[in-house]
Amino acid sequence: MSSITLTSSDGVDISVERTTAERSVLIKNMLEDLGDSGEAIPIPNVNEAVLKKVIECDDDDNRRKTTDIDEWDQKFMQVDQEMLFEIILAANYLDIKALLDVGCKTVANMIKGKSPEEIRKTFNIQNDFTPEEEDQIRRENEWAEDR
Amino acid sequence: MSLAMPPVPHKDDLDSTWSFLEAGIESVMLNLDSGIDMKTYMGLYTAVHNFCTSQKAVASGQGLQGQRGGWFSSLHAAPSASRFELTWTQAHLLGEELYKLLGEYLSCHLSKVFKQSQSHTEEGLLGFYIREWYRYTTAAKYVNHLFRYLNRHWVKREIDEGKKNVYDVYTLHLVKWKGDFFEKVHEKVMDAVLNLIEKQRNGETIEQSQIKSIVDSFVSLGLDENDSSKSTLDVYRQYFQLPFIRATKTYYENESRQFVAENSVVEYMKKAEARLEEEKLRVGLYLHPDVTKSLTDTCLSVLVTAHSTLLRDEFQVLLDNERQEDLARMYRLLSRIKDGLDPLRTTFENHVRRAGLAAVEKVAAEGETLEPKLYVDALLQVHTRYQSLVDEAFNGEAEFVRSLDNACREFVNRNRICKTSSSKSPELLAKYTDSLLKKGSKSAEESELEEMLVQIMTVFKYIEDKDVFQKFYSKNLAKRLVHVSSVSDDAETSMISKLKEACGFEYTNKLQRMFQDMQISKDLNNNYKVWQDKVLDDDDRKRMTDAHFQILGTGFWPLNAPTTPFLAPPEIVRTAELFQKFYFDKHSGRKLTWLWQLCKGEIKANYIKNAKVPYTFQVSTYQMGILLLFNEADTLTYEEIEKATTLATEILDPNLSILLKAKVLIASPEGAKPEPSTSFTLNYNFKNKKVKVNLNIQIKSEQKVEADDTHKTIEEDRKLLLQSAIVRIMKSRKKMKHVQLVQEVIQQVKSRFPPKIPDIKKNIEALMEKDYIERMDGDEISYIA
Repeated sequence: MSSITLTSSDGVDISVERTTAERSVLIKNMLEDLGDSGEAIPIPNVNEAVLKKVIECDDDDNRRKTTDIDEWDQKFMQVDQEMLFEIILAANYLDIKALLDVGCKTVANMIKGKSPEEIRKTFNIQNDFTPEEEDQIRRENEWAEDR
Repeated sequence: MSLAMPPVPHKDDLDSTWSFLEAGIESVMLNLDSGIDMKTYMGLYTAVHNFCTSQKAVASGQGLQGQRGGWFSSLHAAPSASRFELTWTQAHLLGEELYKLLGEYLSCHLSKVFKQSQSHTEEGLLGFYIREWYRYTTAAKYVNHLFRYLNRHWVKREIDEGKKNVYDVYTLHLVKWKGDFFEKVHEKVMDAVLNLIEKQRNGETIEQSQIKSIVDSFVSLGLDENDSSKSTLDVYRQYFQLPFIRATKTYYENESRQFVAENSVVEYMKKAEARLEEEKLRVGLYLHPDVTKSLTDTCLSVLVTAHSTLLRDEFQVLLDNERQEDLARMYRLLSRIKDGLDPLRTTFENHVRRAGLAAVEKVAAEGETLEPKLYVDALLQVHTRYQSLVDEAFNGEAEFVRSLDNACREFVNRNRICKTSSSKSPELLAKYTDSLLKKGSKSAEESELEEMLVQIMTVFKYIEDKDVFQKFYSKNLAKRLVHVSSVSDDAETSMISKLKEACGFEYTNKLQRMFQDMQISKDLNNNYKVWQDKVLDDDDRKRMTDAHFQILGTGFWPLNAPTTPFLAPPEIVRTAELFQKFYFDKHSGRKLTWLWQLCKGEIKANYIKNAKVPYTFQVSTYQMGILLLFNEADTLTYEEIEKATTLATEILDPNLSILLKAKVLIASPEGAKPEPSTSFTLNYNFKNKKVKVNLNIQIKSEQKVEADDTHKTIEEDRKLLLQSAIVRIMKSRKKMKHVQLVQEVIQQVKSRFPPKIPDIKKNIEALMEKDYIERMDGDEISYIA
């Protein structure tokens, strides 16, 4: 198995198996277009910490058939919020669908069952609605309330 | 290496982002050969990504949410996380500006390409088109990858929302090519292509791969308006196929017109066939398979249909000269166009019929003494020749086989020989069959014989008067069986089973019964011998003549009682009576009629002095009756012989003649004919090279009478066949219109002979008189139970 080198945005070289790297459609297309010259591939939008984490992710798609997140992914996603969002952004940039799905599911689970106030607290969001605006939104979304 | 790229621009700035991208795209579009490094590649991708996810752009849209959750803004869509997507449906996705600018860039690039193309013509233009096409489509693949982020989000959303005229970036390239370049040059390009093809048709060598590339390009431009991921052949069909077919038509119209004017039809057919083959190959070489049908249709219409009259006019000439190869070529050509062969069939049928009639005419010159073999061979020869023509040249096609059959049926049943009597053909065929199955003729090898029987069946198939054949055949079979002169039982059985196969069980029923009788007779003679051993003593035995008896069922054998009275000699009478006693013991109430005319025997001539071994005469019973009289006297008068044998003169006279001719008897006065007052003396000085002398020769006049009799019985049998058919039909239908009845009768009996309508009417009348049927009101006939 051949391996290739990726250079993170903060200038660190990371060696990775080609098949693993090709989970990123971006890298896959580029290797296809330019050929593997042996040069390090610059990844301008992802830093070392995130890139390492992204490479670590298991790509066994068979585990991810359901909308639930299985044990492995849960463990993998046990990172601080900052890192979680960094991973999601990287997956979106690198075009790694499986990883993007897991990340988004994890965020979804963090929101599930929480009140707006709790969600604000979780993600550190400031409430910038006026009470009137809030009232209107509540009325508009009445149909979706749990009863 | 690559152009020096400016650093990745700020993501919020459209102008700087675009000028960065444009420079990159330009180098991909124009300088891909010199390569592109990873840094540039990643930079371009990242610039597109960053622009599409930029804060400012979101803010300038209507994305309130964007401002509110800093990190959210980068997350436009997570395809399977549907809860997110719901919240973002209203979101404004970025990228429209890039998409527009890219389109404008492509238009601009292509207008330059078009300008350059104007300095090229013909093959040069083709070369230019192909070079640019490859460069452009290769670049399109790269740009498509670099703009993948745009494809994934903005383009996908636009298409999902049903927007028309938005395509993924690769397809956008094709759409632009078609609109901004192809539309302006396709006519010139096609002219060049068609000139090239014409050159090739004229025998020059051309760069075929050029055409192939053009075809591929045209095919690629066919986009399905409803689903840009699919392609259609519309563009190719309209811009390539139509002009190509038009040019093909014109080319071959001109060529064939000129060729026909200067060459023979045979040469033209070769040319046309070669051209058709060539065009077929052309498709495989560099055209799209979709063209096959219309190309073939066009070529056939111009090369064959347009000249079909000319070809057909040559058909008779080719037949006359037996040009099998050219006939096959004509068949191949005309079989490919609609109704192409129909006019040939009539010509062919007439030709075969004429050939058959001519062949018969030739052998008919032999007159009355025509050998059956000669006649049958003449028929077969014509059939074989044209059968092989149909097989070889006309591919054994069923319709031509039918024409052949029609023609054969005509000349087999209606020709010079049959002029006197339509039943002449079956009669001669039956005689020929007899000559093959009879022992003693130049007996053929078993396999050869079988082959000949098969050939007989070929002619038999065409015979209309099958009942006549049956009559003669059974007569001859009877003789072969009675005289034990069949070549082999196997051959006989083989022939009968062939007839059965052709005409059914009823047709051969009697023939098979005759075979059974022979077997039964064999057993009977064995039993008779056992019975004799028990009943007779030695004295009796000495007085008996060694004899073999055949019992033939009256209904099955086509044999008649003797036409002359005959007083059998006592030696034979004794033997016959003993057998009768034995037979009636077994089967009381049966009647036996001796068919003396078919009996024969051997007598030993002990009286001849200078013979070391006594001569044996093979004689008929009648001759035996005459000769045995000379045991009592050396000389007898005509009247004495006539009185003793009671034979009628028409039998007695020829038999005496044979004996005189063989010098067994001597007439006096010398040289006198057998007639009253002639006397006959036994010749004691008889001499012959052989010890066994055959005197049992069939008399000519008998043969003729026999044939006439057979014809007479045929008329009688046909009457019965018609009447039984009428009764059978009426019994099942009860009531029927006269016309219908006649039709039905024809249907039923035509497998035996073609009935004449007046005969059917006559027989209907006859049955009315016998009260089987009666006339009702109008045209109806009803059955009387």
